[in-house]
Amino acid sequence: MAIIQTKDLTKIYTIGRNKTVVGLNHLNLTIEEGELFGILGPNGSGKTTCLKLLLGTLFPTSGEAYIMGKTPYDVEMKQHVGFLPENPYYYEYLTGKELLLFYGKLFDIDKEVLKEKIEELLKLVGLENTKKLSLRHYSKGMLERIGLAASLINDPKILILDEPTTGLDPIGCRDTRNLLIQLKDAGKTILLSSHFLSEVERVCTRIAILHKGVLLTTGKLDELMDKYKSVNLEDLFIKTIDEYEEKIQTQGVAQ
Amino acid sequence: MKKTWILAWNTVRESFRKKTTYIIILFALIMIAASEFFAFLSAQEQTKMIMDTSFAVIEFFGFLLAMFGSITAVSSEIEKRTIYTLLTKPITRTNFILGKYLGMFFILLINFVIMTIFFLLLIHFKKIPINIAIFKTLFLIFMELLVIASISLALATFTSDAFNIIASCFLYIIGHLTSYGRQVIEMTKNIVIKGLADMMYTILPNYQNFSIRDKVVVGIPVPWQYVLIVTGYGIMYIVIALLIGIYFFRTREI
Ligand SMILES: Nc1ncnc2c1ncn2[C@@H]1O[C@H](COP(=O)(O)OP(=O)(O)O)[C@@H](O)[C@H]1O
Ligand SMILES: [Mg+2]
Repeated sequence: MAIIQTKDLTKIYTIGRNKTVVGLNHLNLTIEEGELFGILGPNGSGKTTCLKLLLGTLFPTSGEAYIMGKTPYDVEMKQHVGFLPENPYYYEYLTGKELLLFYGKLFDIDKEVLKEKIEELLKLVGLENTKKLSLRHYSKGMLERIGLAASLINDPKILILDEPTTGLDPIGCRDTRNLLIQLKDAGKTILLSSHFLSEVERVCTRIAILHKGVLLTTGKLDELMDKYKSVNLEDLFIKTIDEYEEKIQTQGVAQ
Repeated sequence: MKKTWILAWNTVRESFRKKTTYIIILFALIMIAASEFFAFLSAQEQTKMIMDTSFAVIEFFGFLLAMFGSITAVSSEIEKRTIYTLLTKPITRTNFILGKYLGMFFILLINFVIMTIFFLLLIHFKKIPINIAIFKTLFLIFMELLVIASISLALATFTSDAFNIIASCFLYIIGHLTSYGRQVIEMTKNIVIKGLADMMYTILPNYQNFSIRDKVVVGIPVPWQYVLIVTGYGIMYIVIALLIGIYFFRTREI
């Protein structure tokens, strides 16, 4: 059974009186346990919309979304999910350690276990020396790292990361890539989004390319490269999008 | 329930780490101390003025804290986008609203206790006898603050901060002018306006019910039964406001 699944998932935003924007258009995705799945697409292609629908902070216009067979509003399911939002913002009046404690308590983790877990995670993301610093004073890269630690506090089965490499420098990207490989090897399912093709996307078991809310293609990276006769990921990315744009152009002319 | 407590604790912590709360308390204490200025009046008048002013100050600063505290408790999470992460944790939206309200309860309680101690010290120092009626008055002011907090919190789930402040102040003012309001309504000839105004007075909270200081300062007894009924009246508004807040928050997209 798929661990993450969407069925014709659609989100149409209403802005103003009669204006609507398509955020996500009949998305069908199936992600199996243990995959490292990348949703790639340019800015505004619907990646964040998709993740928010999966986690129940947004409500779909139509269609369905399931994680571990549960709806996005299931509290028990969330016990097993870790999430890193896009440009993470956290309580600036808390220190890094307090933030992890607060989230950890919401997962009902045993106090002693939680304390150890926090030390371990702070070390993992390289923030063990700034744990007593207020988040107000964290840099963007540090926030991204404390966010990653926070998303791992419950030792999640499923990790959902929205643009985890956007705020990072090349070294940060490499560290994140290594960490993700390590987590995948530990049996976790990872779903990440990106608009920016870094090393991280290259280690995905499968990718999906999203554009204007539409799923253009999905599959293993090398298979897709063969199919679209592309030399690398950038090439594939641009080719699929160009092909789609051409298709709507000609269809538009034909009509 | 445990999660509601964790959220409440974080709300209290936020309130005390942001310095605004201290400023409100400080001002309130200064104002209570300022009632000293009535020292030129006769002893009896002085007692009345000190008590009356202190109750009014405690109520007004409590109102500010209840309103602004509830608004920030919800909208700072939304503005700073911390809510987006929070709601992906294993909590319900009901937990969130109840946690915020419980947090407000403790914030108000702590501040109220500080103001009360200060006030009691002042009247003790002025050799004014401390009686049970003073505690009845304070208790009902506290109930009123809990109602105000619940209404501002409910409004915060579906309106902007600016609208919320206007609406909360409007309710506070007309909620205290009910007797004048009724008189004005009696004088109105227009049936439609009269009907609407009547309805408004029936639905909206009558904050004047919580205010017994006019009686207490002149020594008119207020029976326990009255205190009990008004407490029930307050709890009814709190429950309704929280249900409305939960309803709107559950349908809100983040
Ligand atoms: N709250 C919103 N209200 C209206 N439109 C939105 C909202 N959020 C996103 N959109 C629109 O939906 C589309 C997809 O956005 P998003 O999912 O954020 O894309 P991505 O994460 O891929 O950059 C964009 O056109 C964006 O403008
Ligand atoms: Mg996005």
